[in-house]
Amino acid sequence: MPWETSHAPRQHELDACVTCGLCLPKCPTFRLTGSESASPRGRLAAMSAVASDIAIVDSRFDEIMSFCLQCRACEPVCPSVVPFGRAMEGARAETAAQLPHRARKLRALLLGPNGLGSRAAVRVATLLAAVGQRLRLDKLPVRLMTRISGLRRIPLAPQSHLGVLRSSVGERIGSIGLLAGCVQDSWFGGVNDAAVELLARAGYDVHVPTGQTCCGALAAHDGAVAGAESLAAINAAAFSEYDLVVATAAGCSAHLAGYSEWTQSGAAVEDRARDITVVIADAIAAGRLPTLPPRNQEVAIQDPCHLRHAQRIINEPRAIVRAAGYVPVEIDPDGMCCGAAGIYVLTNPETSDELGNKKADQVRASGATLVASANPGCEMQLRTNLGTAYEVKHPIEIYADALRSSYRAAGA
Amino acid sequence: MSFAADLRAVLADDQVLDHPLDLHVYAKDAGVTPGIVAAVVFPESSEQVAAAVKIAAKHEVPIVARGAGTGLSGGAVPTRPGLIVALTRLNQIEEVDEAARTAWVGPGVINLDLSAHTMPLGLHYAPDPSSQSACTIGGNVGTNAGGPHCLAEGTTVSHILALELITAEGEIVMLGGAEPDPLGLDLVGVVVGSEGTMGLVTRILVKLTENPPEVRTLLLAFDSIEAAAAAVSAVIAAGVVPAAMELMDQPMIEAVENFKSCGFPITAAVLIAEVAGHPAAVDSEAAVVAQAGRDAGATEIRIAATEIERDLIWLGRKSAFGAVAYAAPDYYLHDTVVPRTRLVETMSAIYEIGARHGIQMLNVFHAGDGNLHPLVAFDAKEPGMLERVKAAADEMVRVSIGVGGALSGEHGVGLEKRDLMGEVFSPMDLDAQARLREAFDPKGLLNPDKILPEGSRCYDFGLVANLEPDSLK
Repeated sequence: MPWETSHAPRQHELDACVTCGLCLPKCPTFRLTGSESASPRGRLAAMSAVASDIAIVDSRFDEIMSFCLQCRACEPVCPSVVPFGRAMEGARAETAAQLPHRARKLRALLLGPNGLGSRAAVRVATLLAAVGQRLRLDKLPVRLMTRISGLRRIPLAPQSHLGVLRSSVGERIGSIGLLAGCVQDSWFGGVNDAAVELLARAGYDVHVPTGQTCCGALAAHDGAVAGAESLAAINAAAFSEYDLVVATAAGCSAHLAGYSEWTQSGAAVEDRARDITVVIADAIAAGRLPTLPPRNQEVAIQDPCHLRHAQRIINEPRAIVRAAGYVPVEIDPDGMCCGAAGIYVLTNPETSDELGNKKADQVRASGATLVASANPGCEMQLRTNLGTAYEVKHPIEIYADALRSSYRAAGA
Repeated sequence: MSFAADLRAVLADDQVLDHPLDLHVYAKDAGVTPGIVAAVVFPESSEQVAAAVKIAAKHEVPIVARGAGTGLSGGAVPTRPGLIVALTRLNQIEEVDEAARTAWVGPGVINLDLSAHTMPLGLHYAPDPSSQSACTIGGNVGTNAGGPHCLAEGTTVSHILALELITAEGEIVMLGGAEPDPLGLDLVGVVVGSEGTMGLVTRILVKLTENPPEVRTLLLAFDSIEAAAAAVSAVIAAGVVPAAMELMDQPMIEAVENFKSCGFPITAAVLIAEVAGHPAAVDSEAAVVAQAGRDAGATEIRIAATEIERDLIWLGRKSAFGAVAYAAPDYYLHDTVVPRTRLVETMSAIYEIGARHGIQMLNVFHAGDGNLHPLVAFDAKEPGMLERVKAAADEMVRVSIGVGGALSGEHGVGLEKRDLMGEVFSPMDLDAQARLREAFDPKGLLNPDKILPEGSRCYDFGLVANLEPDSLK
């Protein structure tokens, strides 16, 4: 048997590819290199070669798979609907199992239940990042440190939303279990603030259950199967009783939408999983949240891949920004990856920087200085590459800010 | 030194691939037949292409050019261990001359990217193959690609003014020129459509076409494919050459509606016609098309009133290929041309062939220029299926040739149709083509085994004097 794990690329997934090549121009790594081996079709051909014993999982196979951003931009254009992201997670599971080198084991630890899944570990990382920001350690020529410049200002004692319980305002629509997110909770607290407030106003009882943990997306993308499975199981139990399970990071909501791969009770989560932008945009459309007066200011829309490509959520962030009174501005008709791509920013720095610079150029060309991005990884990448003259926020924060200031104005 | 070591001596590490896994990845294009690859190079300049060609020539390794690998006839796949020259990094759009309406482009430029780039100038690159979002201009030059809008505008060859070519010896030469009618032999015409057998094209001077100021897109429904085909001939006979005339049969309409729901009527045949040009002209031309349709018995005629309606009609047409990929695990897309006047009988014959071989067939085609694209949806895992599909394909091509048609409309001959060349060309024709090819490529290293069947270069011209022309076939 060429494959060793139950997550390995499946024959029906590989057979679905008709090798038409329509995915190639949408793939950022193919665009950068012009290489078939760096394209979705080529990667599927490499997986098929292993599946049919023509090739083995060797270091070249690993390189080919590791170069993929897992942005899934190939999926919407695929006429045969190949579940490429799923197959790629399977290939990563195989390289992790068959070529377990030290860096990979360390990553599995950091991305698993004792890393991102551990509140204590995240607290230590948060404190280090907060201290690092104050000592200007982002000036150090160390990749991990330079990334601190992409973070929001982290308080030394950050608030957690875990345990928050907020009742609906006005007519009750249903209950929502909010996934706070591993680093979202302490590093991007403003997004969860906005989420709790807006969801309650939109008629939901909001609960952020304490029994939850990291969604496991980063572990799954990296082939850290055991970690991804145990994190998914914990969350499936923690979120069993809500009408909807809502995530405030695109990467998390996309991963919840594929939870049946990772835990037995995952299907029940999948059906109820929503990205926050969908719930808020629906509430605005239904008139449960107000449309605010226009303010004639432009907001550049950056589409996180796991929102646009993985979940086909395109209109919602724009609708939210528009309802906040702003004018959404398109920066990239293809919605090409910004290069953050989870831990890709650390594992493939050159490619990540190249894509990050392109994305920053697109934002600059738009003329807008406020950028809406619905995923923390993209937000950090944008801030790092754009510098301090630009502001990057989640669309629901932009809306919540506008809503708050309209209430203040009404009160004054 | 070994072949790969020689390549690495002139190219950077990331410009050469020779790991077995990469060679396997490069062994196929969008066609059905895999090949054998010795190495892949990614040159970034004409000089680097020339250098790679020289090294391959020294080692006597066959040389195959490749763009996006969307070709369907195996043109980019080496039949024996060969060097793939991936031209994807020669993707610069340089020197757009707005006044002359031309642009110098690299062969790796994606077809649709070029039109998007020149859109602000009100210009576009006219040939629009269905794969235009992915295929490259270099590949289009190789196959003389067409597309729906080639009815009025002509295929790729009508849009290429000059080419920079790397010869089999690794020389860099310029063919054609910016002037409308360059002196000397039409060598650009020889190279376009030659599928990399005459040299490797590294720079291309393309014509850009003005975006039509006004467009009318019509959708006509018919209760028989014959009636639709008759309408096509009637339109041309009426003296109107629409920008495009595309026909879809019922199985294809159903597949498309299932895939994208574009609001097409489910009926025996749908004809999409587009007239483009001066605002004063398009309405009267659209009226001629509509009248021809009514006379031929159209059951419904729609004229797109908005840009959205027009886009929806074209989305339906351009999704045809995806719809089939969606519906079946494998497909085989044919490409033949018949005289427009013989469309009806050819279609009947093709349906009969499909039914006899028990294969599922869907039809969409460039009806205006008689370019047929029967699409066979099948599952290659079914025992004997691939053989049945290939046998039916063979018969369909023979039928097309029988009514005076051509072997390939726009996909190229490649490997797929090589052995049918003898059906169209006499031994003397084939020999002449082989001699022409030999003049460009004496060692036979440029995409060998493609287009011309084995033994093409063996006609003894000494016999000509003793034979009547008819007996040459």
